[in-house]
Amino acid sequence: MTDIETIRSQFPILGQRINGHPLVYLDSGATAQKPQCVIDAESGFYETINAGVHRGAHTLAARSTVAFEQARAKVARLVGASSQEGGEELVVTMGATDALNLLATAIGNASLGRGGPGAERFALKPGDEIVVSRAEHHSVLLPFQELAARTGAALRWLEVDEDGRVMADLAPETIGERTRIVAVTHIGNVTGAITDIAPIVRRAHEVGALFVLDACQSVPHIPVDFHALDVDFAAFSAHKMYGPTGVGFLYGRRELLEALPPARFGGSMVELAYMDRPALYMDPPARFEAGTQPVAQVVAAGVAADWMMGVGMERIAAHEREITDELLGLGQVDGVRILGPRTSEGRIGTVAFEVDGVHPHDVGQYLDAAGIAIRVGHHCAQPIHRHFGVFASNRASAGVYNTPDEARALIEAVKGVRPFFLR
Amino acid sequence: MADNGTDELEQMYQEVILDASRHPHGKGVVPADDAGTTDGEATVAAPHEACSAARSHQFNPTCGDEVTVHVEVGRDEPHRIEDIVWDGQGCSISQASLSIMVDLVRGRTVDEAMHLFDGFHALMSSRGAGLDDEEAMDELGDATVFQGVSKYPMRIKCALLGWEGLKDSMAKALAAQRRAS
Repeated sequence: MTDIETIRSQFPILGQRINGHPLVYLDSGATAQKPQCVIDAESGFYETINAGVHRGAHTLAARSTVAFEQARAKVARLVGASSQEGGEELVVTMGATDALNLLATAIGNASLGRGGPGAERFALKPGDEIVVSRAEHHSVLLPFQELAARTGAALRWLEVDEDGRVMADLAPETIGERTRIVAVTHIGNVTGAITDIAPIVRRAHEVGALFVLDACQSVPHIPVDFHALDVDFAAFSAHKMYGPTGVGFLYGRRELLEALPPARFGGSMVELAYMDRPALYMDPPARFEAGTQPVAQVVAAGVAADWMMGVGMERIAAHEREITDELLGLGQVDGVRILGPRTSEGRIGTVAFEVDGVHPHDVGQYLDAAGIAIRVGHHCAQPIHRHFGVFASNRASAGVYNTPDEARALIEAVKGVRPFFLR
Repeated sequence: MADNGTDELEQMYQEVILDASRHPHGKGVVPADDAGTTDGEATVAAPHEACSAARSHQFNPTCGDEVTVHVEVGRDEPHRIEDIVWDGQGCSISQASLSIMVDLVRGRTVDEAMHLFDGFHALMSSRGAGLDDEEAMDELGDATVFQGVSKYPMRIKCALLGWEGLKDSMAKALAAQRRAS
């Protein structure tokens, strides 16, 4: 990206020094930094618009509602979801974890016989199967593992290859007639490997199963179109796509959202409530958005989506591929092993690595002293770390604002780790 | 390259710490657990006569640091720690802290070890400032090298992991003695 400086200058946080060094932020996989326009949108909302949405008859309430729904539409445009009034396909949640829990809870409710017409299509019973993959974040694995336990369904999983990439060619044998739900990550949050989801989605649909996509690591980094991908549900979070924390989205094909029972109950999701009769719930997305929403944050998430589309997802992906190529140079450092694909083919700039003989906590501390921020630990994905034979790892993850120089600075610093600790 | 990042790093990872993490004291094979459980609840058979042995398993879920501390505590007053051995894996801070802890508490009484535990806890809560109480600092000996670590909230747990295992295993050993008497 020729105008990388223009991009960087929009992120006020990047200008600071950490421990005497210019900050090198390579932890966007955990959370991305925010451009000024997103920061301003959130505070600007409180300065001029703040009011409850979908309730009240005053001017601010109307403006707030419009801003909220416009933001939903902007995010929908980014991910190829419908935002037509009455046809909305994005549900606002408190985050991606929350979105996945909401979905699993709603399916659990359907399994208990709750919900209106069509809800029975979600119902699980003993003998049914849920398929995930070994590469899943705990936020996918655990809600569906719990759902299986609650309903008597069995949990199965797709294995990963030596690079930690989900093995799509195992879909025909792992996904079968008993499979009702398949939940797989679009991009591994440890390995950065892009899953070839098309054959998995095809197989899931062939056997009548629902396909749920964890899009947390894809939406910020590559062009994503849920309709084109033909997924049934998807979850992603705003804070990884340059938006605020506290907001995520659950995508659902409209006809599925319409049939799905609610998972949380309270204000703003019910049409008619009685003492002595069952309530009549609203249509989606309101049915799934009980209680006061994080309106300022949703509005800012819309601005983030606009900002990303303004830069262009193709350009973002192309720029990050350059950074990925640099980061993969880590594999050349003595004693360093990359946990994931070693070429930039079919992966993003999220690069996990192990430094032989040095614990990730120590690596992270050493790099922090040089002003370099990476993630250390198991990145909420213990099963795939077990696959690599480690409990924890180091993970550098790029964003739109990173430069090749920053990737090289990381590599130079990593070269010093073993001499320091194993001296 | 003299900059404040490197200075902080040197202050945190003092030679004593790196040395102890590379050549840890007291690390060895924790005696087999007769009860066959691994959750640290069981009391194991003590090789020393007139001792009660117990173990404690400690785990830090954020980084996977893991340790099992095994102590053998004299049955008679003043309940001396006759032996202590640990096994585990983790970052240099946790490994070094265990090594230094073993040297400090082996042969001490449970009360003395608890006093050191309290002192070390206070040191690790000092946010880098250390303890005003010079006597307490003296008692902690080599363990005072972790003063620099106490500035880093995310690393304090690493330094305390072994100490928590010590406290828990001593408590279990004493409880076993009370049950037996």
